[in-house]
Amino acid sequence: MEGNREMGPKLLDLIPQGRKWYQEDKNNTDQEKKLELRLGPPGGDEEDHSAIKKKNTETRNIKKESEDKSFHCFNGNHFSSSNKTTYVPHISHKRTAPGPVVGWPPVRSFRKNLASTSSSKLCNDSSLHEGQINKSDDGEKKVETKKEGMFVKINMDGVPIGRKVDLNAYNSYEQLSFAVDKLFRGLLAAQRDTSGGEGEEKPIIGLLDGKGEFTLTYEDNEGDKMLVGDVPWQMFVSSVKRLRVIKSSEISSALTFGCSKQERMKH
Amino acid sequence: MTEEDSSAKMSEDVERYLKLNPPCSSSSSSSAVAFANKSGTFKSSSPPCPEHVLENVLESVLQFLTSRCDRNAVSLVCKSWYRVEAQTRFEVFIGNCYSLSPARLTHRFKGLRSIVLKGKPRFADFNLMPPNWGAQFAPWVVATAKAYPWLEKVHLKRMFVTDDDLALLADSFPGFKELTLVCCEGFGTSGIAVVANKCRQLKVLDLVESEVTDDEVDWISCFPEGESPLESLSFDCVESPINFNALEGLVVRSPFLKKLRTNRFVSLEELHRLMVRAPQLTSLGTGSFSPDNAPQGEQLPDYAAAFLACKSIVCLSGFREFRPEYLLAISPVCANLTSLNFSYANISPHMLNPIIRNCHNIRVFWALDSIRDEGLQAVAATCKELRELRIFPFDPREDSEGPVSGVGLQAISEGCRKLESILYFCQRMTNEAVTAMSENCPQLTVFRLCIMGRHRPDHVTGKPMDDGFGAIVKNCKKLTRLAVSGLLTDEAFSYIGEYGKLIRTLSVAFAGNSDKALRYVLEGCPKLQKLEIRDSPFGDAGLRSGMHRYCNMRFVWLSSCVLSLGGCRDVAQALPNVVVEVFGSDGDDDDDTVTGDYVETLYLYRSLDGPRKDAPKFVTIL
Repeated sequence: MEGNREMGPKLLDLIPQGRKWYQEDKNNTDQEKKLELRLGPPGGDEEDHSAIKKKNTETRNIKKESEDKSFHCFNGNHFSSSNKTTYVPHISHKRTAPGPVVGWPPVRSFRKNLASTSSSKLCNDSSLHEGQINKSDDGEKKVETKKEGMFVKINMDGVPIGRKVDLNAYNSYEQLSFAVDKLFRGLLAAQRDTSGGEGEEKPIIGLLDGKGEFTLTYEDNEGDKMLVGDVPWQMFVSSVKRLRVIKSSEISSALTFGCSKQERMKH
Repeated sequence: MTEEDSSAKMSEDVERYLKLNPPCSSSSSSSAVAFANKSGTFKSSSPPCPEHVLENVLESVLQFLTSRCDRNAVSLVCKSWYRVEAQTRFEVFIGNCYSLSPARLTHRFKGLRSIVLKGKPRFADFNLMPPNWGAQFAPWVVATAKAYPWLEKVHLKRMFVTDDDLALLADSFPGFKELTLVCCEGFGTSGIAVVANKCRQLKVLDLVESEVTDDEVDWISCFPEGESPLESLSFDCVESPINFNALEGLVVRSPFLKKLRTNRFVSLEELHRLMVRAPQLTSLGTGSFSPDNAPQGEQLPDYAAAFLACKSIVCLSGFREFRPEYLLAISPVCANLTSLNFSYANISPHMLNPIIRNCHNIRVFWALDSIRDEGLQAVAATCKELRELRIFPFDPREDSEGPVSGVGLQAISEGCRKLESILYFCQRMTNEAVTAMSENCPQLTVFRLCIMGRHRPDHVTGKPMDDGFGAIVKNCKKLTRLAVSGLLTDEAFSYIGEYGKLIRTLSVAFAGNSDKALRYVLEGCPKLQKLEIRDSPFGDAGLRSGMHRYCNMRFVWLSSCVLSLGGCRDVAQALPNVVVEVFGSDGDDDDDTVTGDYVETLYLYRSLDGPRKDAPKFVTIL
């Protein structure tokens, strides 16, 4: 059994070594890469991984830790009930880019992002310490620790199915707006196509300037509903809790509904 | 005195009393009659009723009984003792706020002075629970406001507390003395301001690891003028600037202040001013430990002198944005320190060394793994009195560098033989190091090892970590809390179930092969109270194997395992005194992710008052 555990997981059990599994066994790297199940075109490299990861986040299924389900499958623990998860694509998801797992490692949020506080920058510059985290890595580290995957829910008026977007995958409102269009264009067209004829997919534009049919709004960590685009991007990312694409004609009613605590205090 | 000693002493007192006044069986007929009358009306007419004498004397004796375990035992002796115990209990501890209703509390206990309430389970800290799940303080504060006007102390952990709740608290309890909020949320600086202002006898205001919204209220200025009874003020988790002059003024008029934990908006210069004002401090949270950006002038404050003057400091924390060149200023207090928390400071071994080598008396040490194995070796060489060690990851990702390992763990085990509690985050570990710790540190009661890479085996042998954790449960006979990680097979759990005789809390993540593992634990571990498991291949069969004991546990949490709705329902139907909640990770009812029969999260707990009425829509109570 133990032997099996060590040998078997190479192909199916992808969690243990995470990204490193194909690095450790250099002999078989190329071989195994060719055998990998992938969503993207074959023979890809790191770049493909990130693209696939994005794609996978957009088509995520029930569980965030879906990669673990394939592990369970390997161990013969079946639960026949859930036919919602399809294992195969998630195996490939895991093989190419093991996604961030919610709440792991189990460190409370205020203990994260220590790399981006001023003390770490100073330490890295100071000559007083030795063998610390490299200066050159600091910038990368800052970006990497933030890019843990910041998933927020996004719903659109007229579309019953909500999605999730990873805000850390974007650097600007334009990119986000573009992603929203990609996410919902097809769904919106499907919803509108009641006559059974060919529904034409119209691009969803003008989300940020009020000129389009739809406008992008969000709810922040205080429960206030706001228009997207007013504050600097990073400030938005740090305070947004969920997104909503509403009809531009309903902006005023949507934003005043649900007075926040702060609003109440002011009156 | 330890709780054991005092409880033994109390038991002696009670025993002595019992020898003088044997209860129930051999006493006079009138008391026998009294017991026979279940309605409680005494038919005996001979005054003074021995029953009452018994109760009065018992009351006097029970005043001394403080241990809640002893009190619980006393309350089970007979109805009379139950009544007297209820009358004389002043402190109550509620480990799960949903295990009973506030009404039941106020009905039984009439004279409470202190309440400890815990709400959400621990995994909620790691985003495994959708927001607005519950654990609201509101119904409790409303009920206790009516029932206990003399309430003095409230200690909450993982509860949802609103500003309105705090306002009601401040209004309802004129003698209120201590407020401690640990890992709480839902309130802001405006709520704190009301407490500061209205609780004139406030001795303790401790905000620990709580989320406090910035309502832009100058709450420090809301403390009333005149001498303050404040003994402890902790606000290091408050992420908003404070009015420093008001804080300084408050410190000046708080002669009893012993503990002051400032937040990162207090600069080094400001800290210096506070220390000069309050040399009697025993516990200091140093805030940012970084000077203001504006250059001061020629005369730099003498920080070392300030520390020298604070002869009583035994506990240091903070260092949120520390500057290494100022670290040595704390040297004068190192020899007296019993507790040092560097866990927000990116301290290298080189920086640590001159400090730690003077800290001979340290009992509690928290740090980041930036101190590396080398730093741990320095700790092991000096800190022979160490009881508690926590090493947090500077870079909490699965594939980060990992500057601490089995080397550091083993060094600590060899140098710090009195170690009782350890929390250790690392990237790689060996069975050998863990086994060494199990053999060198027999006093361990808490062993929490987090190998951050999921399913990582022993990095030297490639074997699972079964043997290491097995050694821990076999050798550490006092172990009450265990958290496992790394690659673990069912065998590890067979060890835990068999040898973990005193384990009360067990945390499992990404471990085990099958339901057998869960069965081993549920059929073993006789003292298990709190079981939290995530992402492990445990299903309905495993869940069923614990049916015989869920009524005797505080809670069981299983998330991202292999449970079905049917299996959970079986438990709910079989155990009417256990509330079985299932929910997903998304907190929306218009969620597209309909789960079908799959259960993402199961949270079950015993309850005297049935399912709660405040469950949000995304929670299904089976």
